[in-house]
Amino acid sequence: MTTRNDSTVAIATAPPRTVRPSRLRAIRRSLSTPGGIFGISWLLLIVVASFTAPLWSPYGPNEQTGSVALAGPSAAHWLGTDDLGRDVLTRIFTAGADAIATSALGAAVALAVAIPLALWAASRGRGTETVINRVTEIAMSIPVIIIMLTVVGIVGTNLPLIMVILGLVISTGMYRVLLGQAKSLQSQLYVDAAFVDGLTAPRVSGRHVLPGLTTTIMVQFALVFSIGLMIQTGLAFIGFGPPVPAPSWGGMIQNASTHIYDAPWLMVPTGVVLILTVFAANSIGDALSGPREKAPVRSNTRSLRARRAAASAGNTEPTGSSPVAAPSATEPALSVQGLHVGLDDGTTLVSDVSFAVSAGRVLGLVGESGCGKTLTSLSLIGLLPTSVATTAGSILWNGRDIAALSEQELFRVRGREIAFIAQEPMRALDPMFSIGSQLTGAVQRLRSVPKREAGAIATALLEQVGIVDAARVLTSYPHEISGGMAQRVAIAIALAGRPRLLIADEPTTSLDVTVQAEILSLLRQIIAEEGMTMVMVTHDLGVVADICDDVAVMYAGQIVETGAVRSVLLEPAHPYTKALLGADPHATGAGGPKRRLVSIPGQVPAPRDWPSSCRFAQRCDFATAACSGSVPLTPRPSGAGLSRCIRAEELFARPTSSLPAHAAALKEQVD
Amino acid sequence: MTLLSPQSLAADAAAQPVLEVENLVIRYGRPTRRPTGPAAVDGVSFTIRPGETLGLVGESGSGKTTIGKAILGLQAVTSGSIRFEGQQIDGLKPKARRVLATKLRAVFQDPYSSLNPRLSIGDSLAEPLLVSGVRREEALLRAEDMLEQVGLPRDAVTRLPRQFSGGQRQRIAVARALITRPSLVVCDEPVSALDLSTQAQVLNLLADLRDELGLSYLFIAHDMAVVRMLAQRVIVLYRGQVMEEGSTAAVMDDARHPFTQALLAASPVPDPIAQAERRRLRESRLVDGASASSISATGCPFAARCPMATELCRTERPALRPAAASLAACHYA
Amino acid sequence: MAGFITKRILFGILTIFVVSVVAFLLVRLMPGSPGAIVLGLGATDDEILAYDTSIGWHDPLAVQYLTWLGEALRGNFGVSLLDGRQVNADIAARLPVTFSLALAGTVMSAVVGVLLGVIAAVRGGVVDRIVNAFSALGAAIPGFWIGIVFVFVFSVQTGLLPATGYVPFAQDPALWLQSLILPVATLALGGAAFVARQTRASMIDALAQDHMRTLRATAMPEWRIRYVHALRYASLPIVAGVGLQFIALFGGSVIIEQIFAMPGLGQSIQGAAASNDAPLVLGIVVTTTVVVVIVNLLLELSNRFLDPKLRTS
Repeated sequence: MTTRNDSTVAIATAPPRTVRPSRLRAIRRSLSTPGGIFGISWLLLIVVASFTAPLWSPYGPNEQTGSVALAGPSAAHWLGTDDLGRDVLTRIFTAGADAIATSALGAAVALAVAIPLALWAASRGRGTETVINRVTEIAMSIPVIIIMLTVVGIVGTNLPLIMVILGLVISTGMYRVLLGQAKSLQSQLYVDAAFVDGLTAPRVSGRHVLPGLTTTIMVQFALVFSIGLMIQTGLAFIGFGPPVPAPSWGGMIQNASTHIYDAPWLMVPTGVVLILTVFAANSIGDALSGPREKAPVRSNTRSLRARRAAASAGNTEPTGSSPVAAPSATEPALSVQGLHVGLDDGTTLVSDVSFAVSAGRVLGLVGESGCGKTLTSLSLIGLLPTSVATTAGSILWNGRDIAALSEQELFRVRGREIAFIAQEPMRALDPMFSIGSQLTGAVQRLRSVPKREAGAIATALLEQVGIVDAARVLTSYPHEISGGMAQRVAIAIALAGRPRLLIADEPTTSLDVTVQAEILSLLRQIIAEEGMTMVMVTHDLGVVADICDDVAVMYAGQIVETGAVRSVLLEPAHPYTKALLGADPHATGAGGPKRRLVSIPGQVPAPRDWPSSCRFAQRCDFATAACSGSVPLTPRPSGAGLSRCIRAEELFARPTSSLPAHAAALKEQVD
Repeated sequence: MTLLSPQSLAADAAAQPVLEVENLVIRYGRPTRRPTGPAAVDGVSFTIRPGETLGLVGESGSGKTTIGKAILGLQAVTSGSIRFEGQQIDGLKPKARRVLATKLRAVFQDPYSSLNPRLSIGDSLAEPLLVSGVRREEALLRAEDMLEQVGLPRDAVTRLPRQFSGGQRQRIAVARALITRPSLVVCDEPVSALDLSTQAQVLNLLADLRDELGLSYLFIAHDMAVVRMLAQRVIVLYRGQVMEEGSTAAVMDDARHPFTQALLAASPVPDPIAQAERRRLRESRLVDGASASSISATGCPFAARCPMATELCRTERPALRPAAASLAACHYA
Repeated sequence: MAGFITKRILFGILTIFVVSVVAFLLVRLMPGSPGAIVLGLGATDDEILAYDTSIGWHDPLAVQYLTWLGEALRGNFGVSLLDGRQVNADIAARLPVTFSLALAGTVMSAVVGVLLGVIAAVRGGVVDRIVNAFSALGAAIPGFWIGIVFVFVFSVQTGLLPATGYVPFAQDPALWLQSLILPVATLALGGAAFVARQTRASMIDALAQDHMRTLRATAMPEWRIRYVHALRYASLPIVAGVGLQFIALFGGSVIIEQIFAMPGLGQSIQGAAASNDAPLVLGIVVTTTVVVVIVNLLLELSNRFLDPKLRTS
């Protein structure tokens, strides 16, 4: 699996810089949310109050106090009295410890059975797993409460025993949950590595799989605890609780329900305590499973202007009007000026990016992961992920500023004027709909033609992207075709609205090289045929050399060098571009294949750590004291274009030659 | 059994391959079931000599990773044999395999998944040493030494994987592989998840350590140029079968098999002038259009995509035979 | 597809068979022999022994099971030890009550839960927090408590609905509906909370999928993206959750029937368990299993239908 997915998440979350947080500390941290604190405090309160009841309560739990029966709250009886004049508060808390202890017992039994079973099934592979799955499936075919009633018929109302059996019954469901996660942990490469280290299967399960289950186990414990509590109170409610007069929550609610006409208050105390207890256990479970994924607030509910205002109130650098690379004399079709993209929290991810693309040309945005190239490309079609937005700058396309368009205005641009091709063709297609319905639907929407005509256009589009058996592919679902075929389909969908500008985000990265070559040829041919303009995001300098006319090299959210591909790749005028070329094993120098690559020391800094100086200075072989100031883009020493290096003139200026020596040598080699 | 003189025994030992793979076949699914579909690995044989790096190149689905897993004992073998330093190791029981753990090591592709996020770097590195009976203090000391050797600070032992970047993690993975002083390391796409600049760091590191420690590598990759950096010999796989085999120079500079040629021609170089030339060359001999036409079970697996395929290719599977300086499985090589 | 259905049906039959064996052995563990229960406290040991022998209680277990199975296959679960009534007649009269309760509860849970879950995922913000609070609270409130509160509010206080009792559909459809409202609402509260939680999570996941961006990039209207494509993607886990809910509610009705005095299976098994009425317990357990197996089969089929990967393979 090639993970070059720097599109959204990877950028948004810079690596945390905390000192070694132990597992316990992580659990403690997740429990110190309001829900977790409430849950633990409440359960503790019940247990402590239960054991200390004789100390703080003037009444015994079964003592008929002689006060008025079925009375409401009073100074003497804070929660009132029941039909025999017993103190409700004392009875509730006296019953608490048993309820909590036996529920915990059931949960412990369930996990004690489920954990080893899940670990074993995960480590043994398909055969064992199928057998265990079938057995649990049969066990889960009877509703739990029916089993429990039968069990009560056999063992009577022995609460601990009933809860142990309940634990056994529920363990099948827990096994299912744990198995899924154990299997995904088992498939991690570090498990393979542990086997290579010579660990036996049980040791691997214990050391590498089980610790990863900790959180799930605790969450499941809380869940089974509350199920157990519900079931035991339910059983007590229908008369299978501890024998009278011992207090139990279910029994007390049952008793209260018989007085619903004359003393409805009696329902309240026990019910609320029971609900709070279940709620407490669930809250602990929720807190442990980490912050829940928040439903994103849709971007169009907040005005862009408000976002921009918020962002510029932060620490965004002032948008200096920087020179724009206009590689050819013609009027640019797309012109990006001073573009800033940032997170809602004010972190800047793309800063002051400016470039222009002339009609019919292909611009490559190239750089390593985290440099902001994908976000830049997404902003060109207004498809930035939620919580990321363009905070400053303009994107001029056909006389309009894409960055300032409303969602409705963008709606008319997307697909019809500007189309998008994503990195993972398989994930870009909707797995639930046939390719025909996706492609025809796009054609219908974007060309406003009737369905029948759209079908014919869809077939023609598939043929245009080089698919021979279009009819068969139209009836297929995405999972039935190969990755290369899926990317052809995705390109056909992008062409559905006859767009003038194509944005392609690493369209060949997840494909095999032979397929990549085919897709690149296809893109080149389509652009030529349709006279389209394209912005191509890639990390591969070879792809840039193959398909792009102009290139913008990005580093840490900035453009560090732009210009025509020939001048940038053959005569780089920025130390980073030069270093990238040196690190590329495909760049064959004059002396045949390289034995050793030029490596760039260190790492790309995270967005939060971007210095105000030259962002590459820390890793640059040529850095001097002067590099600590802010560095503007300046004209490259040779050829058109710009470079963000104060030493460019001194380092890279050379007598102009139309073709560098090594390129000429290579040309001969290929011939 | 013939009697051998001590000298010839010693000579044999010196020449004995580190790894011999013979006619390896791997099918997925339960062995009891009738095999359906083509084998993931179909009759692959090769040897690796001490100090040698063999490159295993192919596209996704070529079976290259499966072969690596089979050698490491992570994948059951359907038929054929794998011998490590003369000893049969396929189908070995886990206990017996443990002896191998110090001599046969691995570096995996994804540095984010190959280190347990819950174990400190020191614990991960010490694991193979502890298994082979080294005391914990000594194991941690050796872990620090090893980290230094791969260019990381000694105090990294106390830190967790998430405090390191992808490139640094891959250095740690290399350290874990080499800490037991192995004789063979299976490197499964060790740099394909890394960015260019860090990829170069790791490739240089692997080359330096090999030369320093006299290691053998089985270097699995999809990228010919990356393999070229390290391998002396290379095997090109397609759908589980060997297409071409030979010295790296012979295979890369004078490829005989149409698939190898296609693979080499498809990989773009970052030189626009040279690349334009390469593309022209490639497009002039392209089978155009994509279709899901199936591969014949009896013929050459590449026939469906081969520009030179004839009826013979679709009906008869070509054997691996000498072609120029290498071996190629093509009727027309 | 046909092969798949056959396989699932055969497994369903195996499930019912295994459950019947286990349940048969379990009810044997209940204290007291049939004679002791039927003849009551006044009977002598000899009388009890004679009765037990006459019904084959002392035969080998396998023989007894096969005898029971043979009868059961012909639709005869024997007679209740307590009142001597036919078990199958009792079940036949009670199953529709429990079934309509569980079915109506599931439908209501599904409608309310899916609606709330989708709204929470799509709208986010305050709406999301409100729905979250609802599902957290709904999951914590036991049905038997809220059922009584419903009775208090809607019957005792306002007199809008009947407190308890059940009117068969054939007798008066309007009253039948009225008698179902409170019990169904009680069952559906927890169910809707569960379904809402499940739906919300699945919808958020669906909306975060890469292919949603492709749809947006080709100018698909936002409502279509949400309610056709995202909901379609989320439908698999939602349907599975709703199916689970039916099984849970089928069991949960045991307690709810008691509150509302509904003459369903729950009321029956509760009495049977308390009085060790083995034939009745056995009959109800097996019937319940048959219902669950059928529901599971339908779920599998809908899954096959909903998931193109399964449909086309």
